[in-house]
Amino acid sequence: MCMAVPSRIVAIDGGTATVEAFGELRQTSLMLLDEEVRVGDYVLLGAGGNFAAEKMPEETALEALAYLSQVLADGLA
Amino acid sequence: MFPEARLDVHLLVRLGRVDEVRIASSRLVQASSLFAGKRPDEVARLLPAIFALCGTAQALAGLGAMEQAAGLPPSAAQVPARQLLALAETVSEHGLGLARDWPMLAGAQPDMAAAKRIRAAMASVRPALYPGGDWTRPGGGTVTPDVPTLYAAIAEARAALVMLVGEDGLNALDTPDGFAAWLAQSPLPVASLLREIAGPDLADLGRGPFLPMPEDGPADLDARLAGDRDGAYLARPDSAGRVFETGPLARQSWHPLIAAQMGVAGPGLLPRFSAKLIEVASSLHEMTTLVHSLNAAVAPAACLVEGAGLGLVEAARGLLAHRVELEGGRVTRYQILAPTEWNFHPAGPLARGLKGAAAGPDLERRAALLVHGLDPCVACAVTVTHA
Repeated sequence: MCMAVPSRIVAIDGGTATVEAFGELRQTSLMLLDEEVRVGDYVLLGAGGNFAAEKMPEETALEALAYLSQVLADGLA
Repeated sequence: MFPEARLDVHLLVRLGRVDEVRIASSRLVQASSLFAGKRPDEVARLLPAIFALCGTAQALAGLGAMEQAAGLPPSAAQVPARQLLALAETVSEHGLGLARDWPMLAGAQPDMAAAKRIRAAMASVRPALYPGGDWTRPGGGTVTPDVPTLYAAIAEARAALVMLVGEDGLNALDTPDGFAAWLAQSPLPVASLLREIAGPDLADLGRGPFLPMPEDGPADLDARLAGDRDGAYLARPDSAGRVFETGPLARQSWHPLIAAQMGVAGPGLLPRFSAKLIEVASSLHEMTTLVHSLNAAVAPAACLVEGAGLGLVEAARGLLAHRVELEGGRVTRYQILAPTEWNFHPAGPLARGLKGAAAGPDLERRAALLVHGLDPCVACAVTVTHA
């Protein structure tokens, strides 16, 4: 599946954010995001991870991360 | 880290032709089995949070499957509201392709301003239908249409589309002659790409037997999913041995422009790319019609307990199917069959379109164009070896 991993913003530099998910840091563009985001917010990345597609509520992001952790643990990823 | 799913296409060339097409997928086709044990509302809330490109379509297919399982027909107020959500995602996805990817394929700069306008406009559709944010509620959320905002969103996306293809380009989609005239003179990157793929070097690429997905999916879809205990069907679906093509070309093959293009060159690159352009324009048109039929409705009380159901949604990239089994108000089995499994099946339309293609120094690029035409929802790399 085209599974997306909700990623937490750890730093913002202009139009680029450093985001973290499953212990991995990556750079992603905020250019396509319509909403204001801050460090600590969760975003859903588009395919390939090079842009943030959507801001998401923390509660939903944590629920999704718990599910994805289970996918990893069960060897389905 | 969480591994990123991908497709790897390997072409084996013998005697100057592509003799073999191998497609390997690391997509997580079994992951939805872990929905077992969850309540329907939990699954519906989770779906848009774990699928980046098609989260809306995923949630709508899930709601359709779970409501069917419980014997709940969708209400008159939910149908147009949900169709609007699905179309907004299609416009957003194909709009991003037109603005960002098409110019890059033509060697030009991506138009990120147009991409952002389209995506922002389409992102405003959901809150303008379900301001309470409860659109994933099984049985349907509270629909409170903000009609002026919806019309403004459609107009804004259309204005951004005009930046990419011109007003003349939008008007040229109705007839083959009008399209040819626009294509011949437009200076825009979108037209440059279409001119290149209509040229003699590329016109033949992608030809092969055309097997469009039936409108409501294959007749045996539900039975095949129900019987798929090992996940083999989810990974490589077929219907009596046929692997259908799903997505814009399959949906638009009746359109006069696409029918004319296919009459000349079969299911090649030009009708595939043109069909996406038509989908953006026609989806915006359809959205306008749907706004007329909206009615406010309070979320109904819904109780989803027992049964099996199939939910189908025409997502941006093609037919998306969810099948669910419920027992005691919990999911006991959950399956998702996405369009990429049809289109990038080892015997599917990509493989059919590349097999027998002339080799040459630019085979990777030509194959990549066909991959783009079929639009996988994950990264896809093409490699070539000569026997």
